[in-house]
Amino acid sequence: MKNKINRSTIREILPVAGLVFVIVLFAILTEGRIVNPTNLKLLLSQTYMLAIACMGVFFVMSMGCLDFSQGSLMGVTCIVVCYLSNINLFLAIIGGIVAGGLLGAVNGYFHVVRKIPSFIVTNCMMYALRGVVAYLTTKSPVYAVSTISNLNTMPFMLTITLVVLAIGFFFYKFTSLGANLKAIGAGEKAARFAGIKVEKTKFLVYVAAGAITGFAAFINAIKVGSVTSTGGNQLETQILIALVLGGMPISGGAKSRFTNIIVGVLLYKFLTTGLVMLGFTTAMQQLIQGIVFLIVVFLFSDRESIQVIK
Amino acid sequence: MGELLLKAENIDKSFGLTHAVKNVSLEFNKGEIHALIGENGSGKSTFTNMLCGIYTMDGGTFTLDGEEVHPKNQVDANHHGIAIIVQELGTLSGLTVAENIFLGNEDQFIKFGIKNTAAMNKKAQELLNEYGFSRISATAVIDNYNFEDRKLIEIVKATYFHPKIVVVDETTTALNQSGRDELFKHMLRIRDEGSCVIFISHDLGEVLHYSDRISILRDGDFIATINADDVNEDELKRLMVGRELGDRYYRTDYGEKVSDEVVLSLKDVSVPGELDHVNLELHKGEILGIGGLSDCGMHELGKAAFGASYDRTGTVTLGDGTPINDINTAINHSMAYASKDRDNESLVINDTIQDNITLPSMRDMGFLLSGKKMKEFANKYAKMMSVKMVNVDQFVSNLSGGNKQKVVLARWIGKGSDILILDSPTRGIDVMVKADIYDLMDRMRKEGKAVLMISEEIMELLGMSDRIVIMRDGKVSGEFTRSPDLSEESLIDKMV
Repeated sequence: MKNKINRSTIREILPVAGLVFVIVLFAILTEGRIVNPTNLKLLLSQTYMLAIACMGVFFVMSMGCLDFSQGSLMGVTCIVVCYLSNINLFLAIIGGIVAGGLLGAVNGYFHVVRKIPSFIVTNCMMYALRGVVAYLTTKSPVYAVSTISNLNTMPFMLTITLVVLAIGFFFYKFTSLGANLKAIGAGEKAARFAGIKVEKTKFLVYVAAGAITGFAAFINAIKVGSVTSTGGNQLETQILIALVLGGMPISGGAKSRFTNIIVGVLLYKFLTTGLVMLGFTTAMQQLIQGIVFLIVVFLFSDRESIQVIK
Repeated sequence: MGELLLKAENIDKSFGLTHAVKNVSLEFNKGEIHALIGENGSGKSTFTNMLCGIYTMDGGTFTLDGEEVHPKNQVDANHHGIAIIVQELGTLSGLTVAENIFLGNEDQFIKFGIKNTAAMNKKAQELLNEYGFSRISATAVIDNYNFEDRKLIEIVKATYFHPKIVVVDETTTALNQSGRDELFKHMLRIRDEGSCVIFISHDLGEVLHYSDRISILRDGDFIATINADDVNEDELKRLMVGRELGDRYYRTDYGEKVSDEVVLSLKDVSVPGELDHVNLELHKGEILGIGGLSDCGMHELGKAAFGASYDRTGTVTLGDGTPINDINTAINHSMAYASKDRDNESLVINDTIQDNITLPSMRDMGFLLSGKKMKEFANKYAKMMSVKMVNVDQFVSNLSGGNKQKVVLARWIGKGSDILILDSPTRGIDVMVKADIYDLMDRMRKEGKAVLMISEEIMELLGMSDRIVIMRDGKVSGEFTRSPDLSEESLIDKMV
């Protein structure tokens, strides 16, 4: 266990070290272009939606569950937000959150009540909801009200992202929520015997994750202004890669840290932006991302306490 | 006896900051039962696990029959003639009995790449019959058998190939009397065949009765090897803990009047296949012992009383009439439960000591939690229970059995629970921690708390309970009041 202690310190340090390394590496390779203020601003603007959506999945993964439905869920809720924004902006926000929450409840119902592994349930939801998005955007993309882009300023977007993250952090760190989620991830049966309402918590976390992505859909609508059939495509993979790069154990549990979200999202965005700037093709970028992901999982997997993902 | 079989030299192993086995050198002879004893965390299991290839050692050598051995895993150890029967379940669910027996050694039945299952089943059945377990069918899926029978199957699995060394690691705590007798019979047979049994047990009576020589470990250090004929139980205890134990082990009072106030009552409680219309009342300041054979339903009774049974009928109510139908209500009404299955049901095993202690108490600390306050809380109760640890951030998965149980108890003492359901509270735990736990139960009783102690150890029931209820086939079969004249036999009589 001398090894193990080192390993857990590595787990804490490596993501941050990796972030610094990636920034320095790409700063050299792009001759400083990646760190010039214009680009940093651009890069930051791409992190808002991802960071918020990551938070919901972070809660889910803390419990040792997975959620692959978030990309398609983003697509559907974004359609709701765009559509409603033509009536009223406030209504659009509420609509996105409610729609996301309801879809999350479907995930929760099948996983918690029907006891189907989350991996299967959310994969099915990914395909089903993708179909919904494609159907609703067959004739033309769904456009949001044009004035929505007025909100697309850095102060507004950054503030709102930080506020959402701060709320999440508060609940995770300063209420029993975080400890409960981690306990469920680390040993569900024992958590139940210690009085944690496992089923209720799981269900509500899926609802919350959907609702959070529903809110992220609003942020996405501000930035993009419309939804096509590929709206939110592969977001679930981006979330998973970002969280794992940030040091999140893939089986959740006691070693989950809220900072995994922030470090992971920045690391992921620097990595992808850097690869684009260096002129890699999309195919190459995916290949490199895949390899990096595999290496990180390899380094971090807690093989001694490996367990089946729920 | 006397001819050297296995020589262990300077065996060393650390887990992080814990130096589990310190430069231990030991010798084992042909044709002996060699007991290895020591407190929890003294390094017995770690030592034998290295011999069996479950852990890799940091230093030292094992020389078996003049040849140095470094088993890479259990199957490799088997090929060297070393076998182990472990403390917890060592068989795999979902496989047949025959598949379990020959797990990792199927080669003998494979011809041209095809496994001859019929031959394997036949061989397995022959072995089972030979061992006197003919009621067990080789072709049945192992899940059809209970914990006890699975242990018996493990005995076959570990010894059918006539290994030179058989490690029996704390197996007896999992067995009832007849299972133990079977095990001892085979241990003696193995010895008479000229092999060596390394016998790890906390039951010193058992150790003295069956072993030829006894080696003692303490905190990872080798203390001594002595002939079993030259010592008695007290001397062994002294060697194990390094100091004199007090005379008092169980409580010594008799004839104290227990309050009439009922704090928990079970009426007509049934669980399909487990419990059959059980009625029970637990009083304030009482230790109520529940005994029986391991499959008599008493373990389910603990769960049922805690609102944790699935499919329960009948009523469980507190003294004030509050019905207990789920775990949450139970905990909120000052009930606590320590499971027999410590690693899965009592402890969140891949979590820290702190989280394990604070989990049920967080709801009392208000909506806002302070990290500092929680750490202080965990520290306070971990220290109160004298948990051996580096700090409360340590993961419980690395603790020894006794320390794990202390964490479980620290949790409920921290919560301030008044009704404690303790299922096999001292299972697999050494004498020192046992004494601590008995002491704690006695104090709780005097503070007016109520303890429902479910136990497979008759001495514990006799020594600690104000009242003993014996169960058989899911029903209450007898009840006894605390008395110095109460005998083991009268309890056993109601069990079988």
